[in-house]
Amino acid sequence: MQDIKDTVKEVILAVLPITIVIIILQFTLLWLPMEIFLQFLVGVVMVSSGLILFLLGVHLGLLPVGEMIGSALPKTKKVWLIILVGFFLGFVVTVAEPDVRVLSSQIDDVSGGEISQMLLIHSVALGVAIFVALAMARIIFDIQMKWLLVSGYGLVFLLAAFTPGSYIPISFDAGGVTTGPMTVPFILALGVGVAAVLRGKSSSSDSFGLVALASIGPILAVLMLGVIYG
Amino acid sequence: MNIIIFEGFGDVLLEVAMALLPLLIFFLVFQFVFLKLEKEKLLNIAKGMIMSFCGLALFLQGVHVGFFPAGEVMGEKLGELSSTWLLIPIGFVLGFVATFAEPAVRILNEQVEKVSGGYISEKVMLYTLSIGVGISIALSMLRILIGFPLWYFIIPGYAIVILMTFLSSNRFTSIAFDSGGVATGPMTVTFILAIAVGVASVTDGRDPLMDGFGMIALVALTPILSVLILGIMYEKKGGKKEHVSQSET
Repeated sequence: MQDIKDTVKEVILAVLPITIVIIILQFTLLWLPMEIFLQFLVGVVMVSSGLILFLLGVHLGLLPVGEMIGSALPKTKKVWLIILVGFFLGFVVTVAEPDVRVLSSQIDDVSGGEISQMLLIHSVALGVAIFVALAMARIIFDIQMKWLLVSGYGLVFLLAAFTPGSYIPISFDAGGVTTGPMTVPFILALGVGVAAVLRGKSSSSDSFGLVALASIGPILAVLMLGVIYG
Repeated sequence: MNIIIFEGFGDVLLEVAMALLPLLIFFLVFQFVFLKLEKEKLLNIAKGMIMSFCGLALFLQGVHVGFFPAGEVMGEKLGELSSTWLLIPIGFVLGFVATFAEPAVRILNEQVEKVSGGYISEKVMLYTLSIGVGISIALSMLRILIGFPLWYFIIPGYAIVILMTFLSSNRFTSIAFDSGGVATGPMTVTFILAIAVGVASVTDGRDPLMDGFGMIALVALTPILSVLILGIMYEKKGGKKEHVSQSET
């Protein structure tokens, strides 16, 4: 019960303030047709209740599995298996991430279908997958986070020089949306599990950077799309 | 009056099925080769899957029938105002209030207060982040109005982040980098972005694809920069001793 209460509160706190600002704007500045305004309110109700249901479902059924995998996996001591599972987990979780869906359908719309939603989602997911696998490798081989971040961003700026301008904002936005309610807890659960079992010490500084790494992948992936299709 | 609620819901259901199917297959493979959980846990997982399915469907449907069309019309209307500079304070207010109430932000703030031994209080963090995100969105609106490229913000932003990574201690860098997602709450991507796209579509000489997007990138950068900057200030101003004893790793 406490879970339900917390989740409801969490979602309402995230949605309500902006809704209030929009309502104030509507009756002072915007004066949109009532139909559109009501459509917005319908959206508020549906998005909030959908998000509550989704988060509850993730906490009840999905996250525990992520944690179990995270702690069971390293006990096999098979490096290739840990990296491989990291890769697939990164992929499937990103495909299910609500924010990634929303951003990609918006980009599909605005580009008039030129950058299709399917292509975008799968490239972003592939980007996350590769970087989660890299992050696992980092924990196993004890590579300094700083170097991975610096070379990751170095590559981003290098690729950006070869990609058409219209892909650049999209790519950085794609990096921002992968850190959503689905991806972050899953990746952290996996990383913490792997670090704890492999090194047997507090993993707070080991798991660090997982989220940052996971958001470099999509930037690179979308920039690559630009190089190929642009 | 004609309110659309379930138009195109079939497509959304199909999309959600496609979204969750890979995850389901992944779990099933794991279940059979690896985990072999007992019935009770499986039942919970099934329940969770069904709830996530319904929730995601409702969420996406709400975004499609409510937030996208309304956000874009609002953006167009705001972009056609006689005084478009109003977009800048409006952007600031939207970013500020969204962050101020966001639960994920509060968790980050608690964490920072703890690590800094109370020197960087939750309140300082909360205002820093809320103002930071407000500025990010205001800057994005300014970018649409004036039309300079995203580079002007992104290059210095990331350059500072990388530089700070080498100056700041591991403790703060770790919090900073894992904080990237806290400010990009559900309303930013679904609604504020739709407004920006709407504004860009009615502003002369702007390409909605090129100028409308890019906002989330700035919002995601804000918490990282805030934590790193406050962390360095804390270490410079006397938190040093305490910090040494805290970072044994």
